[in-house]
Amino acid sequence: MDILKVNDLSKNYGYIKALKNVSFSVPQNTVYGILGPNGSGKTTLLGIITDVLKPSGGSFQLFEEAPDASHRKKIGALLETPNFYHYLSAVKNLKITAAIKGRGADDIDRVLDVVDLTKRKDHAFSTYSLGMKQRLAIAAALLGDPDVLIFDEPTNGLDPVGIAEIRELIIKLANGGKTIIMASHLLDEVEKVCTHVAILKQGTLITHGHVNEILVNDDIVVVSSSDNENLKNILISYPGNSMVLLSDNTVKVHLPNGTANLEEINRFCFERGVVLSQLQLRKTSLEAKFMELTN
Amino acid sequence: MLHLLKIEWLKIKSYKAFIIILSFFCVGILASNYMVYSVFSNLSTNQDTQVVVQEFNPFKFSGVWQTVSYISGYLLILPAILLIVLVTNEFTYKTSRQNIIDGLSRAQFIGVKILLAFLLALLSVLLVIATGLFFGFRSGTSFEWTKFSNVGYFFLKALSYNLIAVLMAVMIRRTGFAIGVYFIYMGAENIIAQLLDVWSLKLKKVNNIDLGSMGDYLPMSASDGLLAFPNNPFKEIAKSVMPTEYFGVTLILVFFYIILASGLSFRSVVKRDL
Repeated sequence: MDILKVNDLSKNYGYIKALKNVSFSVPQNTVYGILGPNGSGKTTLLGIITDVLKPSGGSFQLFEEAPDASHRKKIGALLETPNFYHYLSAVKNLKITAAIKGRGADDIDRVLDVVDLTKRKDHAFSTYSLGMKQRLAIAAALLGDPDVLIFDEPTNGLDPVGIAEIRELIIKLANGGKTIIMASHLLDEVEKVCTHVAILKQGTLITHGHVNEILVNDDIVVVSSSDNENLKNILISYPGNSMVLLSDNTVKVHLPNGTANLEEINRFCFERGVVLSQLQLRKTSLEAKFMELTN
Repeated sequence: MLHLLKIEWLKIKSYKAFIIILSFFCVGILASNYMVYSVFSNLSTNQDTQVVVQEFNPFKFSGVWQTVSYISGYLLILPAILLIVLVTNEFTYKTSRQNIIDGLSRAQFIGVKILLAFLLALLSVLLVIATGLFFGFRSGTSFEWTKFSNVGYFFLKALSYNLIAVLMAVMIRRTGFAIGVYFIYMGAENIIAQLLDVWSLKLKKVNNIDLGSMGDYLPMSASDGLLAFPNNPFKEIAKSVMPTEYFGVTLILVFFYIILASGLSFRSVVKRDL
C-alpha cells in the first residue's frame, strides 16, 4: 500500500513557484527522505500534505484515500519548528495533542522518556532550549505510537549527541515497521537512515527512488600521462566505465562502486603504449554527488 | 463539539491573560453598575433631588434590565480583546498549524473559536442577569420580566463585538496589530456613524426623506443602537426632529453582521494558508 501518493502538486507564492508539478509515492514500511537544499520546497510539500498549506494545483492521497483530518490523526508529524503553547508544560501540551488525536493520553510519560525530557516535563515550554523544544516536538509526533511519521528536519537545533540519538531512534522506528517521511538538507542524514529518497531542487523533483540507486558512490580512478588527451581516448574503451573526464591535467575514470582495479587499468594502458605517471583511486563524496544532482 | 470545547479549555485554563482579563470583566461589570447605582443612591438621599430620583430610579425592576445591560455594554471590549489575544496567539506561536497537523480540521479549529465567542457572550449575559437581580432587589422592588428583552439585546451586542474580534484576529493574525485595528475601527466607525446620523437628520429636514439614523446601520453601531439608557429625557424631546428609529431594521442588520463576521472568519481559516 502507498501511504502517500503525490500527483502533480504545485504551490505558488505570488510569482514564486515553490513547488512545480511534483509526483511520487511513498510505499508502506519505508523511510522516505525528501532531500534538497534550503528553499527547494521540502517544507512546502510537507505543509500541503499536513493541510497547513493549500496547493495551487495537483492533489495527493493519504492511505490511498482522499485526505482528511482523520488521516492526520493517524500520523505523527513535526513540521519546520516545534509549535506549542508557550505557557504550558510539556505534559499539558502533550495532553492537548492527545486530545486532538483522540489517543495517546496514557502514552505521555513513555514519549517524554524516549526524548529524555522526563526531568523537565512540568516546566513551561517557554523555558526550554531549542534542542529541548525540538525533542518535545519529536515526543508529540511519537505520541500514541502512530504507524506513519513525518519529520521535517528532525535534528534541527540538536547537539551532536542529540543528533545521533534521534537518528538511532528513527532507524529503530523504521526497523519496527513504521513508515517515515523525512525532509532534510543533510545528505549524510538521509543516506544513514533512509531507504528511499526524492530530491528536490527549486521546487522541481529531480529524481526519486531507492537510496542505493540514487545516492550511488562511484569509484573514480585518477590517472595521468605525458599525453592526457590520448590517454582519455584510450580509456573511453576501458570496459565497465560510466564516464571518462579530462580535467586539471588528469583523466578521471568513473566506475561503479567497488569495481575499480588499479592493476588492471595500469596494464590496460601499458598494453596500449601509454605509461602512467599517476594512478590513484578516489571515492565520490556524497556532497559531490548531491552537488552534481542539484546543480 | 463538547470534545472540541474540552481541548479549548485545556489550552486556556492555565493562561494568565485569560484569567486576568476575565476577572477584570466580572469585577468591572459589578463595579461600573455599582458606581452608577451609588450616584443614584446619593441623589435619592438628597432632599432636593429625592422626589425625581425616586420616580426615575433606573435600578428598580423592570428598568434595571435596561440600565445594567446598557452600562455593562461599555465593558464588552474586554472579552473582545481576550478573544483577539487567544486567537492571534494560535497564529503567533503556530499552534494553529500544529492543531491541524495533529488532526483537527480547519472547520473545527475556527468553529470552536466562534463557539468560544458565543460562550463568552453567554457568560456576559449571566453576569448581567446576576447584576440586574442584585441591584433590582437592592432597590427594594420586586422581580419583573418587563424590559428583560434588553438582556437579549445585550447578548446580541456581546456576540457582535466578540465575532468582529474573532474576524480581525483571523484576518490580521498578530496580537498587537489586531487589537490596534479593533480600536481604530471602533473609533472610525463611531465618527462615520455620527456623520451618517447628521446626514440622516439633514435628509429628513431638507428632503423629507426618513431613512432612520443611518449611523445605526454600521456593524458595531447596529448592536450599540439596540441599547439605550432608560428614561433619557433628551431622546424624548428630540424625537420629533430625529429620524424614525427603525428598530426592526437595526435588529435584522445585527443578525446579518453576526452571520457575516462568522462566515468571513470561517472562510479565512478554511481557505488561507496557516
